[in-house]
Amino acid sequence: MRSHKFAPLGLALWIALIASLSAADPEKSVVQIFTFSQQPDWSAPWRMEGLRRGSGSGFVVKGKRIMTNAHVVSWARQILVRRYQDPRPFLARVAFIGHDCDIALLEVEDERFFAGLDPLELGDLPKVRSTVVTYGYPAGGEQISYTRGVVSRIEIQTYVHIANRSLLAVQTDAAINPGNSGGPVIQDDKVVGVAFMGAQGLENTGFFIPPNIIRHFLKDIEDGRYDGFPSPGVRITPLHNFAYRQYLQLPLNELGARIDGIQAQEESERLLFEDDVLLQAGPYPVGSDGTILYEGNRVHVMAAFHEIQNGESIRLKIWRKGKEVEVALPLYVQKRDIAAGNQYDVLPRYFIHGGLVFTPLSLDYLKTFGRNWSDEVGAEMAYELFYRRHELPNTVRPEPVVLAVVLADPANASFNVKGGVMVDRINGVRIEKLEDVISAFEKVKTGQHLIEFLPKGTFECLDAEAAVQAAPRVLKNYGIPEDRRL
Amino acid sequence: MISPRLFLFLTTAILFWEVASPVTHAATSLNQSRWEQAIINIESTRVVYDSMQPWIKRPRTYLKTGVVIAPREILTAAEDLQDRTLVRVQKMGRGQFYEAEVVWLDYHANLAILTVKDDAFWKGLQPVPLLRGAPSRDDLRVARWLNANLEIRRVEFSQYTMDDSRLSPIPALYLEFDSEMKSIGGSAPLISGGKLAGITCQQVDNHVRALTATFISSVLEERKKGNYRGLGFFPFYWQPTPNTASHKYLKLPGEPRGVAVIFVPELPVVEENLKPMDIILQVDGFDIDPQGRYLDPDYGQQILENLSIRGKFAGDIVRFTVWRDGAIRVVNYRLPRFDYHLRLLPDHVFDREPEYLIAGGLVMVPLNKPFLRSWGDDWKRRAPFRLVYYDNEFPTPDRPSLVVMSFVLPDAYNLGYQDLRALAVEKVNGKVVRNLREVKEALSSPQKGYHIIEFVRSDTIRRIVLDASQMETANARILKRYGIPKAESLSSP
Repeated sequence: MRSHKFAPLGLALWIALIASLSAADPEKSVVQIFTFSQQPDWSAPWRMEGLRRGSGSGFVVKGKRIMTNAHVVSWARQILVRRYQDPRPFLARVAFIGHDCDIALLEVEDERFFAGLDPLELGDLPKVRSTVVTYGYPAGGEQISYTRGVVSRIEIQTYVHIANRSLLAVQTDAAINPGNSGGPVIQDDKVVGVAFMGAQGLENTGFFIPPNIIRHFLKDIEDGRYDGFPSPGVRITPLHNFAYRQYLQLPLNELGARIDGIQAQEESERLLFEDDVLLQAGPYPVGSDGTILYEGNRVHVMAAFHEIQNGESIRLKIWRKGKEVEVALPLYVQKRDIAAGNQYDVLPRYFIHGGLVFTPLSLDYLKTFGRNWSDEVGAEMAYELFYRRHELPNTVRPEPVVLAVVLADPANASFNVKGGVMVDRINGVRIEKLEDVISAFEKVKTGQHLIEFLPKGTFECLDAEAAVQAAPRVLKNYGIPEDRRL
Repeated sequence: MISPRLFLFLTTAILFWEVASPVTHAATSLNQSRWEQAIINIESTRVVYDSMQPWIKRPRTYLKTGVVIAPREILTAAEDLQDRTLVRVQKMGRGQFYEAEVVWLDYHANLAILTVKDDAFWKGLQPVPLLRGAPSRDDLRVARWLNANLEIRRVEFSQYTMDDSRLSPIPALYLEFDSEMKSIGGSAPLISGGKLAGITCQQVDNHVRALTATFISSVLEERKKGNYRGLGFFPFYWQPTPNTASHKYLKLPGEPRGVAVIFVPELPVVEENLKPMDIILQVDGFDIDPQGRYLDPDYGQQILENLSIRGKFAGDIVRFTVWRDGAIRVVNYRLPRFDYHLRLLPDHVFDREPEYLIAGGLVMVPLNKPFLRSWGDDWKRRAPFRLVYYDNEFPTPDRPSLVVMSFVLPDAYNLGYQDLRALAVEKVNGKVVRNLREVKEALSSPQKGYHIIEFVRSDTIRRIVLDASQMETANARILKRYGIPKAESLSSP
């Protein structure tokens, strides 16, 4: 859809502007992005929070698209993009988004937007100590801003947008401030990164997403769908100790890191074993500290796995029981821990019965307890979300469910539990996912429902007929459009 | 508006009154000399252990109060007497200190009796009686020695309340009052009607809590009879049950009343026990309301846990009337004795050196609250979540306790493991270990020349291996390098 409201410039002026662009001026392909976003309230999952204004940066890439950060456009209700020194806003939409790597590609419907704009070319991973320049529209002014810095180091870092994924990232001392997000980091007129995060409490520390991650993203979407970065689901630990190396009959050299744990990845469980020693991952020899030499940088071996696309295999050299073996390990994107990271653009599932609001346990839900949520939520919910799959994988529920809140109604007026608790069973049915809540309630038509909570068997009962009668009243009183979103 | 001059006068007058008032009150309503002859200063020196490096101990000296309650007997709270090395007492708030001996002490009741061998100490001292029943709320005073003068002040009654004891998870009934006195100190006498109505044991700002004389008397009388078996407790969990639908579900006729039992831990074993979904209707004849309260004849509305210590002790029967499976049942519940080891993570370890075992630089300790408290007062937030989470779990016969590898003393022997810390140990050389003795025993059976140490499966490292043949040599080197007196401190088998 074209926006006429924000198109004050005449065509002649616009053409004049286009004529002044050249590929040697990267800033001309750098765009400013304005968003109006709205995310749900996970503790009242039918409700959306207030509209938020945000801004970020982006740049034009091949195929008439704009690359930016996923976090710039997540939950966006409207995306406006503006060209360099062009006052007109254009409407944009998300074509592809990778929340694990914090990259998004935008499309602009109005063809005129790309007129005269040269796509920026993707470069290679910059060298440490080399100089880079960030381009973007950070806070503190209206016009494009440039900051120069050196590449400080290159390592695997946690990507804060999703919170539970770590990928290769480049640290620079070039200032990266709010609004810089999504802007290109340029070296020799080529994009060597996408600015994406800073580090709280550290000075002159900004991070950008390197070309390796960007290329992985671009290849991933070639089939028209973004899958994400696959993971082997193994815990790899250093193997420095002489005794442990001798115990594994491994030469006392600098090679080999130990597979210490395998975390419920079917292929890894079939093909790998604890105490296997990883000697080589793809083309990269693995050091005893669990790192590889990756384009001149020592980084965690996971960087080798991150070169593989979902469903493809990586060739591993393994030391097993005193012998070297080769394994072709298929890699898949891990889905099991999605709820333990930030989730975007998918509205939360919920079901309301008798004023009781049930929703899946997730990090997003826990964050509704406030900035210090980890102090506020019960230990049981934190354990369930972050630890159970490691310790007791056989007892993991695919989708643990919480009673988020009790919407006061005569049907539940004398409840002692007010919400914020994990559901164990309803009418004797172990709740493995939200649909189980519905079927468990449907089992009992008269008498009372028995709802049991974790951890110590706290329970409440709900009159079955009163709960049914309460349904329309609760929806009306609390302005809830539907009793469920599944 | 008050003129500056008048304000100055008022201030002076008030200040004067503040200083003079103790004497004034004592003269008018109290026999001051009687309390001067009974209130004792206590100086307790004890060692405080570094839970992270348990071979390190530091002396600390605490000052508190005691009261002579019988010939050659001084009553005080048990707190600050743990891990003591020297206790001294002083009478009349001044003069010579005498060495005292703790003749009886119970940390769960938070009570202790001291005596002094030197007859000279007892000259001029007179016991004061303990009050029977609840004190008059309008006649409460607190006394202590302050700069060699007895300070006695009126205090304002607030409430009776149940809360955890200072040194034990067993709840205690406290008389709570407000006082302008700063830092009253431990075990100051609470006086009512000229008798000892309690001893103070907690103060936050001007809110002070005291153990009641009724509770103190009940414990001391049992002790005097030679019959004190320790405090009992209710190990089960219940929930407030105001939900009428829950009563219907459990088919309890009549008005909603009582509370539902939700969880009964496996340990301690209680022969005639409650069950989940029992509704507790009465305890020892007292009706229980849906919030778990009963009407105490002395202390008003109180939570039902008070009935586990209200004149009852470990081994006594508490009579529960419960609604179970659609009928009223009576459960003769024999109160189990509380012991710190009934918790998976014991709350305290007193009067013995903390346990540890150094194996090739790996420092192994029992996982307990003192260890977690080494992360500070907000240990629940700062200590590793996984270790803290064990506090939500219960001991079982298979897992009565846990061992944790707290940290590594770096050495060439353990190179590669130097950054490991705070890991719960599951197995050593293939054997499940629940305490340090089992760790030591398992280390005597290396696997083909190696010690294999496995940590509890979690999000951290699972296994490490050490050279068994070199461990003893490495231990000796490590102890010397880090100035550690001995490689182990283990509890008696």
